[in-house]
Formats: sequence, structure tokens, C-alpha cells
Amino acid sequence: MQRSAAFAAAGVLLLAGAANAHSPICNCYDNGDGTITCEGGFSDGSSAEGVPIRVVDARERVLVNGQMDAAGTFSFDKPDGDFHVVFDAGQGHAVTIYSADIEE
Amino acid sequence: MRLRRGPLRLAAAILGAGAVAPAAAHFQILYMPETALESGGAAHVAMLFTHPAHGGPSMDMGPPEEFYVVSQRGEDAEPVRRDLREHLTPIAWMSQDGKVDAYEARLPRAVMRSLGDYVFVLVPSPYYEAGEDKYIQQLTKTIANVGGVPGNWAEPVGLAAEILPLDKPYANWTGGLFRGVVLSNGEPVPHAELEVEYMNHPPDLDAHALAAEGQITYPQSSFATMSIRANERGEFAIGLPRAGWWGICALGVGPDTEHEGKELSQDAVLWIQVKDMQ
Repeated sequence: MQRSAAFAAAGVLLLAGAANAHSPICNCYDNGDGTITCEGGFSDGSSAEGVPIRVVDARERVLVNGQMDAAGTFSFDKPDGDFHVVFDAGQGHAVTIYSADIEE
Repeated sequence: MRLRRGPLRLAAAILGAGAVAPAAAHFQILYMPETALESGGAAHVAMLFTHPAHGGPSMDMGPPEEFYVVSQRGEDAEPVRRDLREHLTPIAWMSQDGKVDAYEARLPRAVMRSLGDYVFVLVPSPYYEAGEDKYIQQLTKTIANVGGVPGNWAEPVGLAAEILPLDKPYANWTGGLFRGVVLSNGEPVPHAELEVEYMNHPPDLDAHALAAEGQITYPQSSFATMSIRANERGEFAIGLPRAGWWGICALGVGPDTEHEGKELSQDAVLWIQVKDMQ
């Protein structure tokens, strides 16, 4: 019994280590046609498919709610005025990109 | 041993008896100032055929046969190949021994806009080395990354002669180790012969010149061109004692051995960038 408890503890440590090595990364660009595309990924190369992403205006109102597609991208119509994009990989792993930093 | 020092041997002969030509290796350079980029953007790439350990002599390049990039964002994603030949421009490179024909490419932001790995590939036309009456063709890779999302850095692009990295070529600390595998038509080359040189005179892309002054002095020619052998599985490892650029060349590992009736050495070159911990 003691041995299996030790194995369980080791498993938890390994999981924690993997989480630390798995930083979310997101990048958005202006397609020049009234749309924005954001692409997400992780520092260990794993897919961002299904990761929630939202577009929020300057007053923190959510304009668009979505999730990354199979290619790890999400496109949306460019809002009027300032906005920011939150790529929310959970557990405090969120990346925020502000409209002023989005180039063509 | 096949230290290619045709021009230097000639220079030594002109200088007279007693002059010892420094051993140095030909290296196809495929250079951009930064390979680990925080964000995507336009890129300036230079292509020069030279002896990097001594900053020359440099040789004329013919028109490249191929110049492309294979990019990939995420390890499970599909690689995307993009031909870049339309961006090639012939330039005159100011070498320490006069002007030579070289190439550059100014890549628009659209090429490197996305996150991920970018494996740049240059297949130059074979170069005729008169001193040895043979041709040299160095199939060259330089691998960059945007944003820290890995992709295809460890995947072969399918060159006839290729060095496959086992460590990220764009993420190396000074004092670290870099490993790779030498491939010929995708198969490991047991006991492959490699040459390793430090870019002692870094390129200035705006001046189209290598730095006039070298950064290091070699105690002896064995230190300028470091000759190593791969193991029986075609794998090698090198230490990285200094920040900057290191060139790795596997000699004559490609399947083509003849060009226009003469001997051809089809080599594989890989460039890696090293940074100080600070």
C-alpha cells in the first residue's frame, strides 16, 4: 500500500512538471480585409484546438466568444474601437493581446 | 582528409616557401541576424559562399537552384512549404579579397508572420573548385522560430544531403551541446565526416560585408576547422563554447557524385545560433 501511494505522488509531480513546461502563446494579425486572425500554440508544440478565445472591448464587454479550430486559429470581424483578445488556456494560463499591437 | 583550401593553397604558393596556408573549409552561408524571434515580421536573409573561420576568401555563387521555407506551427500540424525564389536578388558582396557574387532576400512580413518553426533551405548551384578540379554543392539549412511555438525543427525536409537537428538550432546557450544526425537521402550516414567552424567575422547585411576583424585567434589550424566524425548511427554532438553562429558541414554525403563530367561533393550544411546566459 505504501508503495502504490508513492507511485501516485510521483504521478502528480510529473503532471505538475508537464504543466509548467506548457506555456500558452498567441499571436494575432490583421488580414487587411476587415478581419483579424489569431493563432495559438504551446511552448511544447501541443495543439491549441478547442482552447477558448474571446474578444473583449475597452469596457470589458465580451464581443465574441469562440474557440481555436483544428489548425489552432480563430478569425473574427474586426470590431470598431479598441479591443483585446484573451486566449484562455485555463489555470491562470491566459494570454492577452491588445488591438494596438495587432499589425497587418 | 579533404580540407578544401584551393584558393588558400594558391595564396600560399604566391607568398612563397615557408608560408603555411591556414586550413579552412568552404561553407555556404544562409544568414539572418536573429533566429529566435519574439514575433513575426519582415526578414532579411543573406547567402554567401565563404570560409567563415577566417572571414574569407569568398567565392562567387551561381544562381541558386532552390530557395524555400518549410514552416509548421505545433508539432501535430502539417508542414507548409513556400517557394522563396521570387525574393532572391543577386548582390556584390565585399569580401576581404574583393567583390564576389552573392544573394540576398528581403522577405515580406507575410512569410514569417505566424508562430512556429521556419526551416529555410538553400540549394546552391554546384561551385567549381579549380584548385581541386571538382564541384562542391552545399545543401544548406537555417532554422528560425517565431514566438516559441515549436513545429518541424526536428523533421527532415527531404534533401539529398541533410543534417537533422536533435536540439533546437535556434535555442542554444553558450557552453551547451548541440546534436544532430547526418542523412543521405533520408538515411543516417555512419561515421560521416563533418567540419565545424565558428562565424568569426559576422556578416553585416546592410554593408554586404563580413566584419573586417575576427573575434578569435586560432592556436593552430585544427581549431579553425574542427573535423569530427559521426558515430555508427550517423549522430554527432558538438560543444558550443562561444555565442554567435556555428556552421556544421557533412562532407560528400549526398548521392550525386558527378557534375558536368567532374567529381561532385554534395555536402549538407546546418547553421545554429548560440547565445550567452545573461
